[in-house]
Amino acid sequence: MIRHALAEGWLLLRQRGAIPAVLAFALAVPIALAGVGVTVIRWLGPVAGLESRATTVAVLLHPRLDEGARRGWIVARVAAQPAWSLAEVSAPELAARLGRWFPYLEDLVDGGDTSLPPLIEITTTAPESIAVLEVDPDVLAIGPRSSVESLLGRAARRLAWAVAAVSIVLLAAAVLLTAVWVHLELFRHADELTIMRLVGATEGTVRGPFLVAVALPAAAAGGLAMLGTNFAVSAFAGIVASLGLPPLVVPPSVLVAEGAAALGLPVAAALLTLARHAADEIGS
Amino acid sequence: MIRLRSVSKEYDQRAILRGLDLHVEAGEFVFLTGPSGAGKTTLLRLLYAAEKPTDGEVWVAGRRVDQLHRKRLPVLRRKVGVIFQDFKLLRRKTVLENITFVLRIHGVPPREAQRRAGQVLKRLGLQHRQEALPDALSGGEQQRVAIARALAYQPRLILADEPTGNLDADLASELLSLLCDINYQGATVVVATHDHTVLESIPARTVVLHQGEISYDGTWPP
Repeated sequence: MIRHALAEGWLLLRQRGAIPAVLAFALAVPIALAGVGVTVIRWLGPVAGLESRATTVAVLLHPRLDEGARRGWIVARVAAQPAWSLAEVSAPELAARLGRWFPYLEDLVDGGDTSLPPLIEITTTAPESIAVLEVDPDVLAIGPRSSVESLLGRAARRLAWAVAAVSIVLLAAAVLLTAVWVHLELFRHADELTIMRLVGATEGTVRGPFLVAVALPAAAAGGLAMLGTNFAVSAFAGIVASLGLPPLVVPPSVLVAEGAAALGLPVAAALLTLARHAADEIGS
Repeated sequence: MIRLRSVSKEYDQRAILRGLDLHVEAGEFVFLTGPSGAGKTTLLRLLYAAEKPTDGEVWVAGRRVDQLHRKRLPVLRRKVGVIFQDFKLLRRKTVLENITFVLRIHGVPPREAQRRAGQVLKRLGLQHRQEALPDALSGGEQQRVAIARALAYQPRLILADEPTGNLDADLASELLSLLCDINYQGATVVVATHDHTVLESIPARTVVLHQGEISYDGTWPP
């Protein structure tokens, strides 16, 4: 009956011309979007410390403290707040760290400009605990700010959630579209299906053509999503390469997941719709 | 082959069948008759499990049909050839495909299915119409295709609902002799009809339904 399912499924697709194409496109777009999102986030993770949930607060000490006094102040804070991680940042270090994102800073330092203040960076998962420094006479100013990496990481995380939400909504709509289409086709072929069941066709025979009719555009959607993701990521990859950052490539696992989602979700939707129809048609 | 025990069927609290008891042996030829609305079609629908009884037991070919899980329905229906009153032909398939499709469902290889479909169509005088779509056929021709489909896989039980309703006298007679042949070869045949000339054409057991109850069970005429 596989031949029957393929032939009848292909016939269904040919009869409905544009609908399978719309379906494939509707499935491919959110999956590709999700693929791009996951690829960028996975790339950004190690680059921007995305996984870290710690906040870094910059504390500017009073200029009257010399190097020895600053060190003493740090030792005292470490003893008082074991959860803090303190690091003194000199102007060249700061320029080197930020230079990745703001290349002109390195030029400033290389040009002899040491006006960047010596900072203490306190990294903690409880940034509110920094408030105790507000009454410290040795502290001239407190951030509050996170490091550029943390800011980027947080922004990227929010972007990832936004992309995920948009992808999920679009994908749910596409899956719903699949279910509705299958439902309409079942309605259109109701008499035929009844006859098939009455002459002894198994549910596999009855449902096969509909599954084929869904699986083919779903497979096309998978291919389109993979191509779309590769295309979009390669566009980003050029920008990334020009900044001298680690190369941005689509992980094979993302492509596999795209294919699985494109094929699995609409086929599952079709299976559920067909099962519900069969239950309505022939009872339990 | 068929056993009904206290079978009742209601639609919207209206009784169609009332406590029917019926036993049909394997190899029997039985007419089911009665006026319109007597419950003939409902009784046949119970036998091929298109309906479930409101009460009672329905046994076909050793299986309790009213409790059959839907996954097992195809197994039952492959043992039963049903000739429907409204033909129930697949509109998008040709005459030949309507028959080969059923044979393929029954696991007959494609070439063998073609051969057997050709044979049965020839027997029913439809070989010249085998590439036609059902909508291009007359009522009588569609009826014969429906019969050909039911006969093609040589079922053990044939249920025919008004099979001669769309046939002229000659074709009706030919169909009845065909059903007799099949019965002679061992199949059980149950024919629902309200046509008394059909009942008189074959000396067979006749079950008369009246208002959902069996009012007569014996040879015709009473």
